[in-house]
Amino acid sequence: MGKTHDLIIDQSRWNGEEILKSSKYDTALGLNMAEDARKLADGHISEEAFVAKYQESVEKEFQQTLAVQANETDHSGVRWGMVIDLRKCVGCETCTVSCKAENRTPPGVSYNQVFVKEEGTFPNTSRTNIARPCMHCDKPPCASVCPVRATYKADNGIVIQDADRCIGCRYCMVACPYGARTFDFGESYDEMTGYEQVQAPEHGMDRGKREDGKAPVGTVRKCNFCFHRLERGEEPACVETCIGDARYFGDLNDPDSTVSQLAASDRAFRLKESAGTQPRVYYLR
Amino acid sequence: MEVYSGKQQSKMTTEAIVARRYKRWISALIISMIIGGAAIGYRVIEGLSVTNLSSFVPWGAWVALYIFFVGLSAGAFLLSTLIFVFGMEQYEKVGRYALFTALICMVVALTFILLDLGRMDRAFNAMTYWNVLSVLSWEVRFYLIYMVLLSVELWFAMRTDLIRMAKTTGGLKGKLADILRLGSEDLSERSEKKDHRWMKILGMIGIPIAIIGVHGGTGTLFAAVAAQPYWNSPLFPVIFVVSALVSGTALLIAMYAVQRKAANKSVDLQLIKGLTMLMIFFLVIDLGLEFYEFLVAGLSMKPEKIEILSVMFTSSMSWSFWGIQIFLGAVVPIFLVFNRRTRDSVKWLTAASVLVVIGIIGVRFNIVVPTQVVQSMSPLPHAEYAPNWVEWFSALGVVSMGLLLYSIGVKLLPLETTNEEVSSYE
Repeated sequence: MGKTHDLIIDQSRWNGEEILKSSKYDTALGLNMAEDARKLADGHISEEAFVAKYQESVEKEFQQTLAVQANETDHSGVRWGMVIDLRKCVGCETCTVSCKAENRTPPGVSYNQVFVKEEGTFPNTSRTNIARPCMHCDKPPCASVCPVRATYKADNGIVIQDADRCIGCRYCMVACPYGARTFDFGESYDEMTGYEQVQAPEHGMDRGKREDGKAPVGTVRKCNFCFHRLERGEEPACVETCIGDARYFGDLNDPDSTVSQLAASDRAFRLKESAGTQPRVYYLR
Repeated sequence: MEVYSGKQQSKMTTEAIVARRYKRWISALIISMIIGGAAIGYRVIEGLSVTNLSSFVPWGAWVALYIFFVGLSAGAFLLSTLIFVFGMEQYEKVGRYALFTALICMVVALTFILLDLGRMDRAFNAMTYWNVLSVLSWEVRFYLIYMVLLSVELWFAMRTDLIRMAKTTGGLKGKLADILRLGSEDLSERSEKKDHRWMKILGMIGIPIAIIGVHGGTGTLFAAVAAQPYWNSPLFPVIFVVSALVSGTALLIAMYAVQRKAANKSVDLQLIKGLTMLMIFFLVIDLGLEFYEFLVAGLSMKPEKIEILSVMFTSSMSWSFWGIQIFLGAVVPIFLVFNRRTRDSVKWLTAASVLVVIGIIGVRFNIVVPTQVVQSMSPLPHAEYAPNWVEWFSALGVVSMGLLLYSIGVKLLPLETTNEEVSSYE
């Protein structure tokens, strides 16, 4: 299968050398740069080395300055936030399922849930689906009660849970006004083949198999905005899979981002605002 | 001649009876420790999944028992300060018992909380890392300081007796006393005065540590949680301290009376009467505070508070409030202490104290469980929780361990005030 696939790609691929020959610039330089650019992308050479190697010839050939550029996936200064449009949400729980699949959470552990709120008396009733990930509060009560600082607010806005420090006292679960934390009691979907083969690299750290010593059993677990996906430049799983496109994700520090604009709309509100926790998840009513 | 030997024999049998009682008591404790140990072993191997705890009700019986024993300890210690700091000599006979009980109760409380940790192997993290905002983080440190203080004060209280025991008593008891006296040899009156001074100073330092640090702090641990509307009241830590005084006094009465009876020694009725009056005094204050707590919560008409109160007062678990906390823990004891037929009986007064202790266990359960049954996200239905057999048997094991430590301590340490005239705690 793999070979056929490679063959198709090779046949349809344009020959770089021929294309470069048609341009007025140096073909050899183009090919060498392309090759090293691949190495750079794969992380075999540093950007500084790449720039040092080609700075002079680029200047000569293109009359342009080659400089070390800020990495596009460099998220420094970003403060992540989420907006959930309640009018678009159909209550299908795809977010819950995709979150479980992405983070490979065991039975009883769920970072995302959808609550159905029914109000009024028949025939004047309303049904609202409230999807609830971790609110990633700016004033997180869970972090202030943690006796060992295993949970804390990161600069990027994410409330982090350090599974390797947590002692499992569950004070944070009692203190969370949103019920966004669950305890890993050590159960597994052992009716499923390969359930223990791999764990999600939550917070970007590979945890290997779900087995003794590696699994965060006996600790409290929570949503981390799919930090391992953010690092790859992807959106959290719940945002990407939402069938109604009800979820928006982005940088709340950037006033031009979609989330910032939506969060400023008069439809926006946050859960239990009176609690003073300042959630980073906004809802549109 | 015959009469004499008869007397001798009866004296021997009394001692034999006491020794047999002690043996039976210790073997009963060891058996329940084995049963409890099996449950604890099961929990250690399988993790917290063998308990009835869930992500909806993360704190259960062990947390309730932990605050119960911290309360007993603080109460017992505060009672000892009445003697050693405020010079209420009429209670002196229970002074050292109070200190020793306080120490053992802390050991039991910390064992419960250790058992409750998801990662027991990381318990020491609580010492390595420190979060200034976390009340729990402060508590861990206060508990340790408090336990050191209790041990030092107890040592000063026993010092002269330890020296005497090391000289006169043989066997294990004498040897232990010789080690515990830590090289101290001074039996002079001046050194005894010095001991009392130290005990007074330590007691005085201990009062704020016990009230604000240990038990008020444990109350604050709950009261500071804004997400739990029932706990989040400034009256909460005060109720914690007062109910600690209630349970601590009650426990000491029961311990003193039972232990004297078991050893076939006379029980000081006046002492018991005085202490039960003190206990009822604390109990009435406690009930008053709780009354206002519920009244204000109810009248504030906040739906989340009303919901928790309705779980406490009317749900299927309301027997714990009405039956244990109010009826057994308050109504019956108050009746027993004031009723003309029962108020002069050591038996009935002891029963009243035991009931008060049981009532406070109910108080602790009612603090921890009902508020968690009501979920913080309102569309969720109420959760359910009742401790399962693993939790009960483990608790049995831990409590038996505490009682065993206490019984051994009573046997080996000079906890009984021997010479009645040493009573000048100025």
